[in-house]
Amino acid sequence: MTAPLVECAGVGFAYAAGGFAIRDLSFAVGFGETFGVIGPNASGKTTLVRLLSKVVEPSSGRIRLGGTDVAQLSRAEVARQVAVVPQDVPRGFRYTVEELVLMGRYPRAPRRFFESPEDRAAAQRAMEAADVLALRETLLDRLSGGERQRVMLARALAQEPRLLVLDEPTAHLDLRYQAECAGLLRRLGREAGLTIVLVSHDLSFAAELCDRLLLMSGGAAMRVGPPESVIDEAVLASAYGCRVLVDKHPISGRPTIHLVYPPG
Amino acid sequence: MIGPPSASGIRLAALLVGLGLVVALVAIGALFLGSARVPPGDVLAVLTGRVKGVDQVVVLSLRLPRILAALLAGGALAVAGAGFQALTRNPLAEPSVLGVSSGAAFGVIVAQVFGLGAGLVEAVGIAACAFAGALVAGVAVYVIASRGGGLPVHTLLLAGVIVGIFFSSAITVLISVLDFDRLGGVVHWLLGNLGPIAPTSLAVFAILTAVGLWLVVGQARPLNLLALGEESAQQLGVDAERLKRRVFAGAALLTSAVVAFVGPIGFVGLIVPQVLRMLLGPDNRLVIPAAVLGGGAFLLLADTLARNIVAPAELSVGVITAFCGAPFFVYLLRSRAPLAGP
Amino acid sequence: MTRLLGALGLAGLLLPQAASAFTVTDQTGRRVVLPVPPARIVSLVPSVTEIAFTIGAQARLVGVTDFCDYPGAARQKPSVGGMISPSLEGIVSLKPDLVVATTAGNRHETFDQLARLKIPVYLVNPVSVSDVLDLIARLGRLTDRGEAADRVAAALRERVQSVSARVAARPRPRVLYVLWPDPLIVPGRGALVSELIALAGGDSVTADGGQDYPRYSLEAALARNPEVILIASHDSTRSPLVRSKWERFTEVPAVSAGRLHTVDGNLMHRYGPRIVDGLEILARLIHPDAFEKAVQR
Repeated sequence: MTAPLVECAGVGFAYAAGGFAIRDLSFAVGFGETFGVIGPNASGKTTLVRLLSKVVEPSSGRIRLGGTDVAQLSRAEVARQVAVVPQDVPRGFRYTVEELVLMGRYPRAPRRFFESPEDRAAAQRAMEAADVLALRETLLDRLSGGERQRVMLARALAQEPRLLVLDEPTAHLDLRYQAECAGLLRRLGREAGLTIVLVSHDLSFAAELCDRLLLMSGGAAMRVGPPESVIDEAVLASAYGCRVLVDKHPISGRPTIHLVYPPG
Repeated sequence: MIGPPSASGIRLAALLVGLGLVVALVAIGALFLGSARVPPGDVLAVLTGRVKGVDQVVVLSLRLPRILAALLAGGALAVAGAGFQALTRNPLAEPSVLGVSSGAAFGVIVAQVFGLGAGLVEAVGIAACAFAGALVAGVAVYVIASRGGGLPVHTLLLAGVIVGIFFSSAITVLISVLDFDRLGGVVHWLLGNLGPIAPTSLAVFAILTAVGLWLVVGQARPLNLLALGEESAQQLGVDAERLKRRVFAGAALLTSAVVAFVGPIGFVGLIVPQVLRMLLGPDNRLVIPAAVLGGGAFLLLADTLARNIVAPAELSVGVITAFCGAPFFVYLLRSRAPLAGP
Repeated sequence: MTRLLGALGLAGLLLPQAASAFTVTDQTGRRVVLPVPPARIVSLVPSVTEIAFTIGAQARLVGVTDFCDYPGAARQKPSVGGMISPSLEGIVSLKPDLVVATTAGNRHETFDQLARLKIPVYLVNPVSVSDVLDLIARLGRLTDRGEAADRVAAALRERVQSVSARVAARPRPRVLYVLWPDPLIVPGRGALVSELIALAGGDSVTADGGQDYPRYSLEAALARNPEVILIASHDSTRSPLVRSKWERFTEVPAVSAGRLHTVDGNLMHRYGPRIVDGLEILARLIHPDAFEKAVQR
């Protein structure tokens, strides 16, 4: 692992409604790494995204971003370094692609009323990188699921972040778009040297793309390491509570997961 | 290709100039129209200072302050409505839903009904009673809606409606014990009391409106981001709680100022932002500044009608905004895109 | 013998009628049939309460409203609530044989409910000074105080005529009467105050306003150059500071001449005997020189 960009040390978090969402979580993400976070529902994956983007703050422990404690950074400062690609935009969102991507420039100059020419240039670059430049004048409602996701990725890139966090990127995507997404992320990781944290319940996807994986269960880290060591039948059975079979992808050699269906 | 620099800035400037012209035209027209039937030549004579007498009173002490009050009130209500709709992500949100306008009205009516220590009330002004009522209502809404340090939007709306209903009922109770003489006056006031206000009151109204506008208009860009959902907005660096508090305070201040000085006027805060969004798109950086001028022009037009249609008697401006605004709104709804979400 | 029988028979025919039917027509033209002259009357109208006391019929008054505050003794009577929503239970528990109500201030629902409960309702609706005098006479007949009522009415009529005589030959100043300042509400064509102003020798600038008390345009009112401005106060305290809102209109004759006065609204708006007090006050304010000699003495 390279020098860490993100360091979580003994992080704990509890929601006001009660119950610990995360307890004593410690891991690190190196510069330029593609890091996957997997685990069953309610394992704390979404909460981790919120912690990394400072939507909520840990009740115990510390999160460091590039060496600085996140607690000491303002929301805008965090947003300059961490960009989150959410699952979707709200319904009935009447902005155009370009307007949405420009929203990503807010943390760079929050006091400005209108965006600067530099902002518009950065947005343009982001749209090119995410391959949505041709759609810039289109209303978001008119786009397909895959196109919308690329637009949100463009917005995240417009923030010019050091860390890109993707929350369930393949959740609503057709197979074709899943494949496109994988290609795009690989390109960004390799060419732009972007550090990527990928939260997913699609185990094969995560195993394919990521350099290392973090398997969470019940709010704690169950295992951290390269896909081959984390994607292990016994470990997964214990985390997910069901039998799985692990195989190798015929082309990439990465682990793939097969569910063992009960006979009925 | 990179777009022209600050394209939106230029667009906003053009929009404001255009609306400013509309406002100027309506204002000048309103100066010449009135139930005192002052001939246009005399109006000009008054404006150039050549004539004194009753005409001067009519044009400068009655019509002019009333026109300015209408512009201020219309702009204040439209901006409060636009801000509140963006804040709650709900196109039906209206300043009166805040509960603040009912509280302010209650304060004024209490003062009118009880002639509260007559000297004190008159000295400090009806406006102070309105603010006292608005403050109580606003604090109540804030306290009821606050949850774990935050201000969730759905509880804010609910709390506002509940507090509004409470004060409206309280007003009804007060009215029912009023004797016949004062009943008419109070009931008419509740329909809106846009009238010629004294210069000092106008100045105070202008200052309060300016503060309220500053609180809301400046937040137009983060309000756009709020449309993505609070969590996404926060992930883009917006301090959502601070934004909500600030816009709530601004909208409450604008609404209370309007009720304090010109009585409760409904519908402007609902319809003007909707119309502007239909015409200009969802960007609050265009809609909210446009609402300042558009709301003013709309209310001024309605008021000019209200005071001329059945001259020398007058209609309440609230009647005009409802009767004329509703059909126009329906027409827009049918001919263009469905109800524009903020 | 037959003549005696005939007379007895005739008397027999007449007596039951006299004993069984006391039929009157109320001020709205309805017939109200009562078995006997009413002895237990509930008044839902403050001015009727006032008149009852003035003509000495208060013993028959068993119930009044919260607003029946004049004379002071009226407050001792049991109250049945407000004018708009009086308590029907309260009225019924007083066992009235007549309820006096007005079509301008009480609700139709109240009359209907009382009719269903078989309680006779006598409706009044005075709109002019002569209506008020007529009302006094009617109430006198209703309560068997006809002579007292006629005396009261005659005295009032004389005072009214005296005022008219004093102001008769004088030019009529333009008068603006402000019932409520904000929004401006004034007496229009049908309002009693308009008639009082005319009787007091003034010319109300808002007399063309359609309904009784319309919401009016301030500029239209001021553009007619009122020479006297009268502001009604609605509580017992005088409100001197309300005048300051008007004093900035220095170009208006009334303001520059200092003829800006507050008057007691209760005297002008209730259709009772005190309207003549109100008339005399109005006349003194509108034509002060016509009454100087009287004051000096």
